[in-house]
Amino acid sequence: MSDDPYSHAAWVDALRDGVLLGGRCRECGWTSATPQAACLECATRDLEPTTLPLEGTLHTETTVAVSPTGFDAPYRVGIVDLGATRLLCRLEGDAAIGDPVAFAGTLETADGEVAPLFTDADQSP
Amino acid sequence: MTDVRIVGAGMTDFGVHDRPLAELFADAAVDALDDAACAPADIDAFYLGNAMSGQTDGDTHLAPTLASHLGMAGIPCTRFEDACATSSNAFSHAVRAVAAGQYDTVLVGGVERCTPATGLGTDEMTAVFASAAHRQYEQPTGLTFPGVFGLLTTRHMHEYGTTEEQLAAVAVKNHRHGTLNPRAQFGTETTVAEVLEGPVVASPFRLLDCCPFSDGAAAVVVTREDAVDDPESAPRVAGIGHATDAVPLATKADLTATQSARDAAAAAYAEADIQPADVDVAEVHDCFTGAEILAIEALGFVDTGEGGHAAVEGTTALGGEIPVNPSGGLKAKGHPIGATGVAQLVELTDQLRGEAGERQVPDARYALAHNLGGDAATTLVTVLDGGVSA
Repeated sequence: MSDDPYSHAAWVDALRDGVLLGGRCRECGWTSATPQAACLECATRDLEPTTLPLEGTLHTETTVAVSPTGFDAPYRVGIVDLGATRLLCRLEGDAAIGDPVAFAGTLETADGEVAPLFTDADQSP
Repeated sequence: MTDVRIVGAGMTDFGVHDRPLAELFADAAVDALDDAACAPADIDAFYLGNAMSGQTDGDTHLAPTLASHLGMAGIPCTRFEDACATSSNAFSHAVRAVAAGQYDTVLVGGVERCTPATGLGTDEMTAVFASAAHRQYEQPTGLTFPGVFGLLTTRHMHEYGTTEEQLAAVAVKNHRHGTLNPRAQFGTETTVAEVLEGPVVASPFRLLDCCPFSDGAAAVVVTREDAVDDPESAPRVAGIGHATDAVPLATKADLTATQSARDAAAAAYAEADIQPADVDVAEVHDCFTGAEILAIEALGFVDTGEGGHAAVEGTTALGGEIPVNPSGGLKAKGHPIGATGVAQLVELTDQLRGEAGERQVPDARYALAHNLGGDAATTLVTVLDGGVSA
């Protein structure tokens, strides 16, 4: 576990623990779903780690049928609207834009990187 | 600040080139230098766009290598990397340096090899392209670049009712334009039915919604206004806008706006002191059919949400209200990443000189290039003025 509570390492550790770690700007309230050194809205560095909701609605999606080395197509990638922010994720199930989706764990790539996995809200564990 | 003009332009055919990068680039550069009637000794600096040679060719520190091959060792050489917006960024910096009086005459170019001639297969090259997505928060999902624009376009279809048939119409238009361009990779027409029958690459895009993998090079020579003998054949750089948007994609405020393009366009229009309606011909970044729809909205050629109708109705075809991608665009001309931005400017130089042959837009004065890089994170918009009096 990284000492920095709002680093990539902390984000990955949280993801593996079933927590979506975001960051909220203490100045303006802007929220990110992935670590930032400063706020994208007001550039203040005063971001506090925050726990994001595990359910949201699907904002957009694509089915990747031609994959890069190390991935087996086809699979879906989506962007989930978590209310205060959005998160890019791997997507299982049939959710269309606007449908509820829920965090369903992590996906680990061959080179050790980790991505969040979401699925249809009514099929989440 | 002095005005800057393009005095020479050259490019290779786009397609498959199984040759060293230096030799490929030299073909474009020699054409540009000869077109400008410049000797290598006349060039004060070299600005190069190349995005991926370290990954595709195991070849880095490319700028002095290419300059040496052309007999120009000794001058300052600088390489730029901004994914697909690479060489328009090199062009922007070259123009600013000349405008500021740092140099009189500069060579700007781009070169890239992306086809299987590199020895890389489709999955390997797809991974190279994907390296322009966020390493930690995009790449691990398996997101590809067709997927990036698939996300943006799927959202556009949801918000505005844009259809797969409208996407296909962009491919049909640009393939038709490409048949008029001897330098284009695709020289054949296609149909909406053929596009819609193709295999999915990343939804909503099928094979013919996507630009090809391409090898190629392009180059221009720019110089200060007072050194130009024949302004009629030397388009003036009237305005350049360069803007960025948030990375990763999910942090962007609006996924269909391509905000960096809107901001870059606003800056370029302001500097050129023109409106979108003044543009006579445009080369835009149609890496995927949906990208052209987002681009023409961001540039103000059509209202936001209305982009899907343009190719269907002929608005953006040669002979239409605002011809877009007369070269065939990335879709049909090809897209050797680091060469694309300057290649757009080569096409527009031909257009403003009245030398574009069968794809000539009559009486074009203002020409616009829109070159987008990464997950819509970088856009450069360049306005050229072919009028003699500034």
